[in-house]
Amino acid sequence: MMRKVIGIIVIIVGLGYVFMSFDFLPVIGDSTAPAHTHVSDYYIENALRDTHSPNLVTAVLADYRGFDTLLETTVMFSAGVCAVMILGSKSHIRNRFLVPKKILKGKPEPGVSAYKTVNKDVMVTLIAIMILLYAIYVLLHGEVGPGGGFQAGALMALSYIVSMMIAPDTRPLFSLSKANAAALAGIGVFIYAFTGLLTVFNGGMFLEYGRLPFPVSNEYLHTIGIMLIEVGVTIGVMATIITILKAIIERVRFDDDRD
Amino acid sequence: MIQHYPALVVILPLCGAALSLALTKIHLHLGRNVIFLSMALSFYMSIMQLRNVVINGPMEYRFGGYAIPYSIEFRIDTVNGLVVAMVALMGLITAFYCISGEIRSEKLKVGGAYAVVALFVAGMLGNASSADAFNMYVFLEITALAAYCLIALGGNRGMVAAFRYMLVGTIAGTFYLLGVGILYSATGTLNMQDMSIIIQQGGKDEAVLVALCLMIAGLGIKSALFPFHGWQPSAHTHEERGSAALIAGVMVKIPVYMLFRFVYCVFGTNFKYMQQILIVLGIFVGIGMMYGSIRAIGQTNMKKLLAYSSITQTSYFMLGIVIGSPVALAGSLLHFIGDAFIKGGLFYCAGAIKYKFGTVNIDNFGRIYKKMPVTSALIVAGALSMIGIPPTVGFFSKWYIAMGAIQTGKYIFVILLIISSLLNAIYFFKIIEKIFMSKDKGLEDVRPVKKGELPWSMLVPMSVCIVVIFLLGFLNVKIINMVLPLLKGVGM
Amino acid sequence: MMTGIEQFLADKGIYYLTFLLLSFGVYGIIACKNYMKKLICMNIMQVAAIVFFLSLGQKKGATIPVLIEGLTNADSYINPLTHALMLTAIVVSLGTTGVGLALLTRIREKFGSVEEDDIIRRQNKL
Repeated sequence: MMRKVIGIIVIIVGLGYVFMSFDFLPVIGDSTAPAHTHVSDYYIENALRDTHSPNLVTAVLADYRGFDTLLETTVMFSAGVCAVMILGSKSHIRNRFLVPKKILKGKPEPGVSAYKTVNKDVMVTLIAIMILLYAIYVLLHGEVGPGGGFQAGALMALSYIVSMMIAPDTRPLFSLSKANAAALAGIGVFIYAFTGLLTVFNGGMFLEYGRLPFPVSNEYLHTIGIMLIEVGVTIGVMATIITILKAIIERVRFDDDRD
Repeated sequence: MIQHYPALVVILPLCGAALSLALTKIHLHLGRNVIFLSMALSFYMSIMQLRNVVINGPMEYRFGGYAIPYSIEFRIDTVNGLVVAMVALMGLITAFYCISGEIRSEKLKVGGAYAVVALFVAGMLGNASSADAFNMYVFLEITALAAYCLIALGGNRGMVAAFRYMLVGTIAGTFYLLGVGILYSATGTLNMQDMSIIIQQGGKDEAVLVALCLMIAGLGIKSALFPFHGWQPSAHTHEERGSAALIAGVMVKIPVYMLFRFVYCVFGTNFKYMQQILIVLGIFVGIGMMYGSIRAIGQTNMKKLLAYSSITQTSYFMLGIVIGSPVALAGSLLHFIGDAFIKGGLFYCAGAIKYKFGTVNIDNFGRIYKKMPVTSALIVAGALSMIGIPPTVGFFSKWYIAMGAIQTGKYIFVILLIISSLLNAIYFFKIIEKIFMSKDKGLEDVRPVKKGELPWSMLVPMSVCIVVIFLLGFLNVKIINMVLPLLKGVGM
Repeated sequence: MMTGIEQFLADKGIYYLTFLLLSFGVYGIIACKNYMKKLICMNIMQVAAIVFFLSLGQKKGATIPVLIEGLTNADSYINPLTHALMLTAIVVSLGTTGVGLALLTRIREKFGSVEEDDIIRRQNKL
């Protein structure tokens, strides 16, 4: 009862917002609003000169505010570690979620007639690899078009998930245990942080790509720097998603499992 | 190299955490030792940067090397230099304290646990040094995620407490994010100094008011300020033993520091609705001081008692913000730093007694001082400081807060402060009485094999806490003089 | 020519919707008795904050923030900053959801249910 009352109070407060006229917020689409005239204009006008990246979101994300993205990857990594720690203890088999047997009949393998249908076969052998290829394209292309490390990592994890869902007992494209995946996520974060540390040891500020210790021109240094951190983000995100998935899936009981 | 210290202080524990799991695969304790090394370096750098700030003035660090409003900035002045040093020291000794709770059988758990602690510390360090509103949000969430995990590791009840805290904490984070969004829409920047300059030009009062309300709600929930404290007692009671000191002693303070930054350094004292906001906060604080103390008196579980006492302490820091004079703000900061070691130390004691005897019920504490002299000494030092008896730090900080209240004519807060301190005395003397005078309950040692009071990894952090409680008491004038010039610029 | 109400909705309408979404999320977290539903409501609330930021970043007649040759005017591109910030916020929400699911898995294993009443009853028995 108390809960309903509090809820209704909250909803009334929420409706209170509706009856306010939002005078303090700018009109949507107004290009003279303060939000568009101060920092944002600088980014649009100078991004190409400063970062050599035509994708402005990448320029802001990976260069101007690159430190935020390091923390973003850290958030992912810590979510993975937390999931592993919380689900770390051995659970009693009786307590696990039950999944009906019919989902997993026998031990099918790609190309064997146990599959009964060609679709799954195509999924595992073709689509998973295509997703992986697409992920690499998104990763490499992220600087000039929409895309980037996070999306690439999510796609790579997706290809892993696809092969795991279709044929859980077969070997997926690449196999990772829960502990290895978590460690890999940490290495992804470290690649990112290490890129920053390289610039620090070379006399620049943290993540100042112009100071990376590679013998190429300034333009390429920014490209290399952004690429390095995108690789770090990709590894971190991919490994974290796999970690969380594995940690949760270990607790699921299939009814042909034995103690 | 010293100009890089503000960034390295945060990044070193982060790197340690990232590598911990991979290194643990090589050797069980390699990851742990790397984390210790990174935290010790981080503490050393925080002290060096504090020294540099005192001598040469504020340090700013621009990530990526771009000009100020376009890149993320870390800004260290005397106030947050002190906070950073406090967090780094607490993090280091707490990581040390966690050695006793290691589960040696599983590599993954050893590496993972220290990684979570290091991430937790890195998040708080970043929150204290950052000068960028959105950057603070991300650090806040890193801290929160690690905290959910550490609370959940405390057992089955901890799991439910962590889940409930997660829901509430996410509401808080979202409110803070919306506040940042409204400020961004009004000023067009995320850098706090730039924001402050634009707000001082005037005409943004409505937007600032809405943003401030959202931030008070968000940060109030995170710091367990009185009407938003619902999640706190159960979370603090059931959290994991080793890291309890960090969660209860440091985590709930960082949002108060952020609120101070926003209210005084960004919005400034010229803000039109300042008085109204301070009156509302004053009511919260006044009720909170009484409520926490009164609820704590009835508790028999030591952790729960300390959790309710935390609500009172949070109100004391907020009291400095409500009074707003430089002296009160300085006293509040001193209390802020001192209380991390007091509250952290008392949680160390609760953890140590649980470790040795398997109970935290204070009715069973009869004559425990014979078996645990160091623990009892820390409890006494912490209790005296909490009540406010010289020469501990608690007395001086409360003295400065009261002085600020008298200077600005807000006598009601002096009365409330004294009543609340007396109430503190009731429940802390109850614990002291149990430890020294009550009949021996004949507690059984749950780990009879080991000799001595406690393992040295627990004794060292506890001794550090005792030393710091008295040291801060003796150094109080120095610290106050250090921060006063800065606070005179922003206070009322 | 837009009438008054249309003009009003075009100018500020989305703010009402986002804040309505936010209140629904908060209401759900308070009122739902099922922890899974609470977790979903938490996601709804976070989406509201993300939509709010994205609507702040819009400009009339502007294109996506990928530079096109010959178009250097700052008014021609929508605000890249809010989009970059929201990528981070999305990741934070993903991480929180992951931890929440992990916690729920353990709670379900221990207490046999994700209903709040059942959990409280089992907790008191422990």
